[in-house]
Amino acid sequence: MSAAQATVAARPRRRRSEISERRLAAYLVSPSLIVIALVAAYPIGYAIWLSLNQYSVIHPGLSRWVGLDNYRDALTSADFWSAVKTTFIFTAISVTLELVLGLIMALLMHSAFRGRAVLRAVVLVPWAVLTVGVAMMWKTIFDPDLGFINQVFQALHLPGAHTVWLGQSGWAMAAMIFADVWKTAPFMALLLLAGLQVIPDDVYEAAKVDGATAWQRFVSITLPLLRPAILVALIFRTLDALRIFDLPYVLTQGANGTTTLSLYAYQQLTANRLIGPGSALAVLTFIIVMAVSFLYIRLVGGNIRALADEK
Amino acid sequence: MNRKLASAGAILACAAVAAGCGSSGGGSTGGSTVAGVGNNAKTVTPDMAKNAKGNVTWCIGKDTTGAFAQVVKLYNAQGQAHVKLLELPTSADQQRSQLEQREQAKSPECDVLGMDVIWTAEFAAQGWLRDVTPAIQARASEFIPSTVNTAKINGKDWAIPFNTNAGFLYYNTSKVHQAPTTWQQAFQVAKSSGGLGIQGARYEGLTVNFLEMLYSNGGSVLSSDGKKATIDSPQAQQVLTFLQQGVKNGAIPKSASTWMEEESRNAWQSGKVALLRNWPYVYALAKQAHVKFNLEPLPKWQGGSSASVLGGYNLGISTYSKNPGGALSFINFATGPAAQKKFFIKSSLPAVLTQTYNDPAVKKAQPFAPQLLTAVQQGKPRPVSPVYTQISEAIYKNVYSALWNGESPSTALKNAQNQITKALQTF
Repeated sequence: MSAAQATVAARPRRRRSEISERRLAAYLVSPSLIVIALVAAYPIGYAIWLSLNQYSVIHPGLSRWVGLDNYRDALTSADFWSAVKTTFIFTAISVTLELVLGLIMALLMHSAFRGRAVLRAVVLVPWAVLTVGVAMMWKTIFDPDLGFINQVFQALHLPGAHTVWLGQSGWAMAAMIFADVWKTAPFMALLLLAGLQVIPDDVYEAAKVDGATAWQRFVSITLPLLRPAILVALIFRTLDALRIFDLPYVLTQGANGTTTLSLYAYQQLTANRLIGPGSALAVLTFIIVMAVSFLYIRLVGGNIRALADEK
Repeated sequence: MNRKLASAGAILACAAVAAGCGSSGGGSTGGSTVAGVGNNAKTVTPDMAKNAKGNVTWCIGKDTTGAFAQVVKLYNAQGQAHVKLLELPTSADQQRSQLEQREQAKSPECDVLGMDVIWTAEFAAQGWLRDVTPAIQARASEFIPSTVNTAKINGKDWAIPFNTNAGFLYYNTSKVHQAPTTWQQAFQVAKSSGGLGIQGARYEGLTVNFLEMLYSNGGSVLSSDGKKATIDSPQAQQVLTFLQQGVKNGAIPKSASTWMEEESRNAWQSGKVALLRNWPYVYALAKQAHVKFNLEPLPKWQGGSSASVLGGYNLGISTYSKNPGGALSFINFATGPAAQKKFFIKSSLPAVLTQTYNDPAVKKAQPFAPQLLTAVQQGKPRPVSPVYTQISEAIYKNVYSALWNGESPSTALKNAQNQITKALQTF
């Protein structure tokens, strides 16, 4: 909004000096900067400040500066590293699966057939459901006695009909990934579909005329031209997955190797009232997510620009 | 008793590290010791409630049955102070953080605080509660003593019990013909009749299930002076080994690793398990579902005594309240015979007064009242400590590992012991 105002307002002042125009620009963007500072910078700064202090739940109003102690405690605790491991395993597997499934769904939705509009709408339903709702639903589905999965296994006389899915280390993580993929693959598909739709048809027609097979067209045309969309979708999903909280919170309460970083920080901060150490964990999570997004932008950001320039 | 020690100014000197303060062991019949609680607290005396006037706000979790509002209306009709009900969210965690935010801001908004029994110590330690010892003493004979102990720290009372709760053993009479009287018997019966339903998920409920057996076997979590962890004991070792074996030999079904109250109730009601440890709320639901069942207070450990862990809520008076007299007047009404009867019948909130359980109308509406009274009388509070949530987490995390992830009981208890020791040092 402010950018639009700036262009409109700046026009009649073109003759004035450069500096006043800059100052005007600064004035015009300042409201948004103040809003950003209030909603983003202040809480982040406050969390960092809290993480350098130790607050007591035993003695009222007592706090003391402990420097980096909380960080040292976190970085030397086994719980923290197991949470990091859990978070990264979850992110890597779920995002990969979502990308593959999302791509297949996008290609299906892109091709012309009857009922395509209906399919597009239907496919998006899981994504529209609240994550907590999804988690509750999967918790019921994975219930060992009354759950849908074990009922189906039983009806088909398959082994494993009495598996306690959420009560075992490997399966609990698998169930969590399954639920996440089910929910967010459609979102991936939506982003990729948008990418597919901007690829001009004449490129494909030219390739067909040259005798390229469907596979060749996919590998040499679709994939390279879809790359910006894939990268954007990957960034979105990776950053989301790194912050995963609702699924383990509802499904397992973090049992059986499903305590993710966000859940761990929440437990320390909210349930245990360890304000200092909990804030340190939150800041560490923030740093990890930031680092990963910087990495993406470095590796990928230039790529996107280069691709955009090519076009 | 260390009441004098705790209230002496000397305690301030070692307040920095709670666990480091030396004092001779408790020996008091009830209540807990927490360094620092009670210094400079304001006291509420019974005569402050006489001729109560002005406005009082009662902050408590959502009034799901409308009984809270009814009692407020009855009180207001008496023409003393005027009470307003402020409903907090349904979730206990949310209620706690809402109250904490107000108290941290020294807000006078909530005069009467509705607190889960397990937060009472933290609220007292933070200096948010007024000392209500004289008010409790004036009515001491009315209350079931165990309920008062959930809010007793350093020999002083920090809140007045409002409702209580205790565990029961439910059994399906078509499969189990006689109630087992010991846990050992219960596991034997369970093995041959489809299992015992417990709350085995990694949460507060597992702590409660474990503590019931531990207490019954004479074990403890904290030393009587509240300063040392005592969970790594032979008694705890016995209980944890026993539970672990129960899982191995099928007395406790594997699926219990994901069960909270409702999941275990469903499994029992649908006939998957024959026995169930659960709260009184199951009674009405099982009746509706036409289950043939009976219930008894929890079994005891062989050679031990029966012990349930108490649930429920206490009512405290905020330090920042502008009308403590009015607040006490209302609390006395809400914890009085007429209101307690109403809450018990209408909302199934078990009463804290002994006499309520003998009331014919109550017995008619809640036929299990006599057993519940026994269970509550034998009930023990969970560790009364400002760091209770950390203590509980240390218990349920490690008990969970021992039960479901094959951790050895000795390692699990050692870990729990270390984590509780660390929690007690929380500065």
